[in-house]
Amino acid sequence: MISAVHFKNFKALRSTAVRLEPFNLLIGPSGSGKTSLIEALLRLRYLAGQATAPGPTSALAFLNGPQIEFHFHPPFQNVRVTLGCQADELSCHRLRVDHPPGLAGAGQWAELRTQLQGIRAYLLDHQAMGAPGLRSAGTELAANASNLAAVLAQRAQQAPVAFAHLVTDFCRIMPEFSGFDFRGVGEGHVELRAALRDSPERLSCENLSQGTLYLLAILTLAHDPQPPTLVCLEEADRGVHPRLLREVRDALYRLSYPVATETPRPVVQVVATTHAPYLLDLFRDHPSEIVLAHKQGNAASFERLTDRPDVLELMRETNLGDLWYSGILGGIPGD
Amino acid sequence: MKLALLSESPADEAALSVLVGYVLGAPFTRVQPTLRARGWPSVEQVLPAILRHLHFNTEADGLIVVVDSDSSVVHTPQHEAPAYHHPGCRICRLRTVFRRTLKNLPLNTAHPTPANTAHPQVRRERVLRAVGLAVPAMEAWYLCGRDTSITEAAWTQGQAAGRVPYSRSELKWRVYGTERPTLPHEIKRAVQEVTRHQGDVRRLEHDFPQGFGSLARDLRSWRAESSC
Repeated sequence: MISAVHFKNFKALRSTAVRLEPFNLLIGPSGSGKTSLIEALLRLRYLAGQATAPGPTSALAFLNGPQIEFHFHPPFQNVRVTLGCQADELSCHRLRVDHPPGLAGAGQWAELRTQLQGIRAYLLDHQAMGAPGLRSAGTELAANASNLAAVLAQRAQQAPVAFAHLVTDFCRIMPEFSGFDFRGVGEGHVELRAALRDSPERLSCENLSQGTLYLLAILTLAHDPQPPTLVCLEEADRGVHPRLLREVRDALYRLSYPVATETPRPVVQVVATTHAPYLLDLFRDHPSEIVLAHKQGNAASFERLTDRPDVLELMRETNLGDLWYSGILGGIPGD
Repeated sequence: MKLALLSESPADEAALSVLVGYVLGAPFTRVQPTLRARGWPSVEQVLPAILRHLHFNTEADGLIVVVDSDSSVVHTPQHEAPAYHHPGCRICRLRTVFRRTLKNLPLNTAHPTPANTAHPQVRRERVLRAVGLAVPAMEAWYLCGRDTSITEAAWTQGQAAGRVPYSRSELKWRVYGTERPTLPHEIKRAVQEVTRHQGDVRRLEHDFPQGFGSLARDLRSWRAESSC
């Protein structure tokens, strides 16, 4: 959906741009703009979703203030959306839309606007996930996945095939489990319990490990029959054993490359961040999916790994994770 | 026989397990836990520690290591000359690591395992070596006999001419139908393809005489050694 984002004076992103693919893995030190990119995407969703259609905000209103400009893939390649504000304002809270004139252009923007409402960002919180959730709050996964139990309970009822695929995948990856069940607790709340293989014992979510919960939340997204249009996932590797990172990558690929898993639904664009060299190693065959976030002093910039002319040569010598850690790719903390 | 496998992915490991069984012609058991490397050069880096672990802490009779050649130098018969070592050849390099590491380990007969430790009794003196090189990747082996254009000779001729005949991505596509297979699909296809040989690895040895051939020759030498 989004083909590129151009930044001008937005936080540490002084003057940089990032091209977005179906799948994007951002690596870089703290303060290098990874989360700012996600924030920009969420801001785009918010402003595009405001009840009042964006008016003809004067270009002058953006003068010298921070700006974030979004470009889109076909069929929206002729629409451009800019977030901005004046120099003395703190955040990009105004939106300008440039689209072809006439009804056709307005129709394109209306359709794009609907798709932008499907942008979601997740920073998973195992403690929130462990608690029983309001059964009625299970329409879609919350940003911290605190309603995981409710979402899965609802999916088990309303999309049993998708739920069964999720359970099969989970039990394959975590063979100590054989499935899930749900138990009503309190007023309108539901608790998710995992069944242990070869045992009558059930473990409530609060007794599952962090990594198990994170993996379950990622699979919940990956097997969502009606997923968001764009998924941002911070610290995609968090809590997951290095040998299971392949499963995290595959789950996220399921979103971005549905054809590869014969999943009949549109592409979900994924923007994930990581600090794990082991996860990075898994992109040896697809280095174009890696975005380096550089930090120089107080300024940050993005660079797609394959924009480096020597990257394929460098990758002949060692794996990507070690290349990154060594510092020769950049995307490391300042000395 | 108790064997350890060191490979780059669970799919490689599953396929390799089948192929090793075919070459040995006898059942074997795997040493647990499974070993894994993060690709070259981590295989070379971690190999001494793995050999040491297998030597002292396990009953492993042998270690099988298979790596992808990627764009590195492919092993040739010339590399088999005594004392020859090609620094760009991964088989030569892995054999050197085996040789250097094992020669510095005490023979187990000189160091009997104390009865009061958890370490199992070890029967062999040294861990046996089997090294293979998938040219340019394991997917080439999977396509052996199904796609006659994929051979070690085709690859090395392409390398010499400065234009390789196929890429890793193309091989993946031909085996998995996608460049981004899920792990279960990768394992399923890998095992499907190698079991197609039904115990007869002559075609693999013919089409991949150095990469697979070296592995098979190493494994057969174990049989000879164990029958002595």
